[in-house]
Amino acid sequence: MQQHRALILRSNRFLGSSLVNEGLISSADLNAANDTFMAAIQSHESLKTASILSILIDELKVLDEAKLLDHLFEQHSLGLIDLNYMELSSLPIPDLDPSLCRACLSIPFDKVEQTYMVASCYYMSTPVVKHWETLLDGNIIWYATSIASMHQSLQRLENILTAKEVEQE
Amino acid sequence: MAHSVLILDDDADFNSLLTDIFKQADYVVRSLHDPFEAIEVFTNSDYDLVVTDHKMPGMVGSEFVAQIKQIKPQIPVIMVSGFLENDTVRELINNGVGGVFLKPLNIFSLLERTTELIDEAKRLKQNHELEDKHLSDGPAPGAEQDVNLGFSLRSFPGQSPQSVSFVKRLYRLRNFRSTLSLIGPPGTAFGLICDDIRSFYDREKEYFVYLSSSSFDTSKVLAQCEIAKQSGFERITCVLLDIEFMSDAQKCLAVSLAKCVDAFELIDQPLRTIFCVSNDLDTLFDEARINEDLYILMRTAEVKVPALRDCVANISILAQQIVRDIATQKKLTTVPRLAPAAEDFLAEQAWNHNYEQLHATLRYAMHQFSGDVISLDVLVTALQANMKVCSRDQLELMLAGVRLEYVQAISILSGDDSSAVAAFFGTDTTVIEAIVQ
Repeated sequence: MQQHRALILRSNRFLGSSLVNEGLISSADLNAANDTFMAAIQSHESLKTASILSILIDELKVLDEAKLLDHLFEQHSLGLIDLNYMELSSLPIPDLDPSLCRACLSIPFDKVEQTYMVASCYYMSTPVVKHWETLLDGNIIWYATSIASMHQSLQRLENILTAKEVEQE
Repeated sequence: MAHSVLILDDDADFNSLLTDIFKQADYVVRSLHDPFEAIEVFTNSDYDLVVTDHKMPGMVGSEFVAQIKQIKPQIPVIMVSGFLENDTVRELINNGVGGVFLKPLNIFSLLERTTELIDEAKRLKQNHELEDKHLSDGPAPGAEQDVNLGFSLRSFPGQSPQSVSFVKRLYRLRNFRSTLSLIGPPGTAFGLICDDIRSFYDREKEYFVYLSSSSFDTSKVLAQCEIAKQSGFERITCVLLDIEFMSDAQKCLAVSLAKCVDAFELIDQPLRTIFCVSNDLDTLFDEARINEDLYILMRTAEVKVPALRDCVANISILAQQIVRDIATQKKLTTVPRLAPAAEDFLAEQAWNHNYEQLHATLRYAMHQFSGDVISLDVLVTALQANMKVCSRDQLELMLAGVRLEYVQAISILSGDDSSAVAAFFGTDTTVIEAIVQ
């Protein structure tokens, strides 16, 4: 995860200020979340799960995830998706780095011709969008998904990739 | 007072059903079947919300919404339809439709959304009225009108879009609770902007402390806080200027200050921090000129300060302010004015070093020449001379920073023994103390 440390910092920083700018949380909420986030990122164990979004939704309970998803649908015209219903065993990127997906809570889950479908909890964070656009040559249809759906799918994805590695050995 | 709703649906039965639903919920309802008539009625009357069908003869709902949004964009609209493609729903939402309901209707959701939209529109209207009250009277640098508004626009007096947008954002964020970051190009008048921020509050209650790399340390902050406490100020705002040029220790101290922890834990009064930097935060972070803590902390509430060249209308007003200030300092009997050609010349310059360059140029002009009118020639000469002075000043500033860091490093190594430091540099203690001060 350390290789994605800068991306984690940047994506969370931008997400936090986007949430403030779009009126979903207050600056005081973000301040409180930042403190917890910085403590998490400085610990080697919790870096993997360090997320401003999780802190705001689950720990501080100052952001209603349903409202955030509504906002993404209404203001950003994003489709909503539950990744639990998606097949992850044949992902569109063969050498996908699961730690990158975890770093920015995003999974490219499908590809139609040259267009990738990416589900993300961090669409409102410009560095995340730019990172994937650069990685996938810019042809992306974005979907919003819940944190629970994302975490379950990341776990599933990691299990699939581990099983594949074992199989190859 | 009951809210009013305009209903448009060519289907008489469904129109009647919608009318009943809203009437039962105590709304004043006007029902229409023809979109063209609805536009006319909407234009000439006041409604709190519009409910419209999508598929209608002569004009589809999206066209109707586009037209009424041009007339009164603030009035919320709900679309009710039998079937809509996802793309159409997205397009409608993008065009300002506040809710899309498909038949069969969920009456409770429809009424709930209606209440939300009307409340939201009322709140927005109140906010706009408040903003207009504060900002619509235009610039009046230093004038009494500004005092009446409760804040001054001295640092950004013009009405260019960038200038107005900056002032509005600054004003909106005036009640920041812990940190505010001002990110401006080199030469930005951070001091002047912070004076403007200070004027948003009661000067008797708000204490501002300005700290730079040469003056920021624990004892200084604590001493200032004590002065503020003794003088009865209710809140302290610490302005950290050019934080990217501070030492690593000072940057860590800045984090502690902003969080009110460690040495600053015992400060009684509420304390806030304003960070001033002359570069984009991502660039500063990439170049390791701010640490992770600062990077996150500074993003909580940030305001980008526009460059002087992007606010051309400000230049002439700021120039007159500067001339007036210098004339007061020099105790001149009359305040010189800028010749029209000189004003035009100022407006045409790039001002790469922003306010500081403008200030230095005018100071040079007024130092070198006397008279009631500052001519174009005088300004051209002053700007050329100032360009040379600018680079020398910058070099001296950089060298002074390096010297301070060097002295501080030796001081730490020698256990804060000023005689040992003085001996190391082959000078006396007064010189060392003057550098550190």
